[in-house]
Amino acid sequence: MRHFSMMMLFAALVSVVFGVTAKQTARERLFYGLKVFGEFMIIGLVLAWVLYFLPF
Amino acid sequence: MRLRPGPGFAFVDKRGGNQSLTVKERESELAGNMHAPAAAWLVGVVAWFVPGGGHILLGNWRRGLLLGGTVAVMFLTGLKLGGHLFSFGGQEGFYSLLQIPPTIANFGSGILYLICFLLNKGFSEGGDLASSPTFEYGNTFLLVAGLLNYLVMLDAFDLAAGRKR
Repeated sequence: MRHFSMMMLFAALVSVVFGVTAKQTARERLFYGLKVFGEFMIIGLVLAWVLYFLPF
Repeated sequence: MRLRPGPGFAFVDKRGGNQSLTVKERESELAGNMHAPAAAWLVGVVAWFVPGGGHILLGNWRRGLLLGGTVAVMFLTGLKLGGHLFSFGGQEGFYSLLQIPPTIANFGSGILYLICFLLNKGFSEGGDLASSPTFEYGNTFLLVAGLLNYLVMLDAFDLAAGRKR
């Protein structure tokens, strides 16, 4: 399994639990889950590029 | 329920405008909500033991299966990636203290953790396991699976106690 797909799987699973437990209606859950998923992916990619340029 | 202070030191419910309570009435109502019924504790224990089981016990099958399935997939993925499960034994001195936080996180997976403990699966500390490129990923999946199940457990408890809908 590639690193990126593992990150995607991790983000998706956590987003499902966060979305279902944090919000009340199905619409709110969907949007919150997508928001958390997007945040995981964006922050993960940004951190990966920052670490890529560090010399250690 | 979102409350805002109303006229004459009364709290007014935004959704139901006719429900106005004095401060003392509101305080006593909140104090009453702090005492969860025994059934809620039972649901909490079941929810910890079987991921999603608390919601299923409350009749919320879809939510229970979704949450339980998510926790189970995360746990099994962690095992497949060569992750390590922590336990209290096996270390001495300061190192035994370092085992406590990850053990608590792993323990949140309930029956999944207990089955692995009984089968001694995921607890071995071989060097070949640690050298696996996905070892740390597996650890993270296993730790987070337990922590997510604690969240699911609290959700089921709140639902059973009537604090959440």
